[in-house]
Amino acid sequence: MYIIIRNIARFLLVILFQVMVMDNILINGFMIPYIYILFILLMPFETPRWMQLLSGFLLGMGIDLFVGTPGMHTAATVLISFVRPYLLDLLSPRDGYEPETFPRIHYYGFLWFLKYTLLIVVIHHFVLFYLEVFQLKDFLSTLLRVILSSALSASTIVLSQYFVFRK
Amino acid sequence: MRTLLRFIQKYSNLLLFLLLEIIAFTLIVQGDSYQKSKIVGLNRQLSGYAYSRVDGAREYFSLKQANQQMVEENMELRNKLELLSSLMDSSIVIPEFRKPYRYFFVPTRIVHNSVYKQYNYITLDKGKKDGVFRDMGVISDQGLVGIVLESSNNFSTVIPILNRDFKLSVKIKSNDYAGILQWEGGSPLYAILTEIPFHVNVTVGDTIITSGFSSIFPEGIDIGWIESFQLEKGNFYDINIRLSTDFQRLFHVNVIRNVRREEQLNLEGQTR
Repeated sequence: MYIIIRNIARFLLVILFQVMVMDNILINGFMIPYIYILFILLMPFETPRWMQLLSGFLLGMGIDLFVGTPGMHTAATVLISFVRPYLLDLLSPRDGYEPETFPRIHYYGFLWFLKYTLLIVVIHHFVLFYLEVFQLKDFLSTLLRVILSSALSASTIVLSQYFVFRK
Repeated sequence: MRTLLRFIQKYSNLLLFLLLEIIAFTLIVQGDSYQKSKIVGLNRQLSGYAYSRVDGAREYFSLKQANQQMVEENMELRNKLELLSSLMDSSIVIPEFRKPYRYFFVPTRIVHNSVYKQYNYITLDKGKKDGVFRDMGVISDQGLVGIVLESSNNFSTVIPILNRDFKLSVKIKSNDYAGILQWEGGSPLYAILTEIPFHVNVTVGDTIITSGFSSIFPEGIDIGWIESFQLEKGNFYDINIRLSTDFQRLFHVNVIRNVRREEQLNLEGQTR
């Protein structure tokens, strides 16, 4: 029960933080950190698949509504919440994930968390940026934006683990 | 039947995933009608309110620069006033003055702005209550900003030049040739002017202004100047425009109300 409430609160917090603070940050006119997917990254291991998908959908819809884009964030977040369990399997330590733990730096270490974050952030940004452009004309410049923004988002997310979500 | 049920059970997550993605892509494809839907309108009220709260802080940090802009605009207006009063002194009655004015301006404040996306939108803190409605022009003291897309009671959204859906008829000031202004993503400093035929004399540095061929903007509002051009395939120039409006530092803008807009649109509708 406690975990559910905490996740709902986190859901609202990441949306507000993304829209109010992060969307106003702009580096080089190119890079923008999308850190709201932190919510999907931190969902407990045992969350049922259908719940992961639905929360991904709602998260994307929330951002879409605020930013005013039609469905782009939704498509990207639903995709990453679908592939997340497979990625977790791929990255699992030798004896699997222990019960009563969460996908956090605190439990599985810096390197594991960095790999996990980078994979999901890159997939999300790739889908999002190409859907936004909706054509392959500026393929390379979009790719550059994907790479730069992914680096920025991933490092912000990893840093947040040390400052905000310490325990 | 049982196999079907078992199939659904086995692949329920995949099916849910596909369903959600289909919903998302339907929204993307129907982007335009989505923008006009009720729920987005409701959210516009909500996010407009939230943004106006946050923006108080942002505005505070740029007070100095806003002040500078005001001073400059003030100077310019004072000069114009001086010029006009000297005309009045010589007791010439200018027939223009007798006509009721055609355009007037609603000063507004920007509460949310973005420049780095492909489809940027601006939110203003005035709406229907202050007479801001769909399809009104928006300008700043530096030049053209955009066109009002939708308005709620207290807020309105603007589609600025920096949006791939933006298109406007503009002309080159020196020779009056009209073309289409649009933006193709990328830098928020530049836009593109197309449909200027190859026989026109184009010079780097020429000023681009609104053409006045629509009921939205009066003629002669600054847009920018020609940065570079090339004659690519066919009969039209590809002209790069340096925009005179600095979208990254925009705070106060004016919405243009055209008093005779209904009359003009009615007449044009009847003629068609």
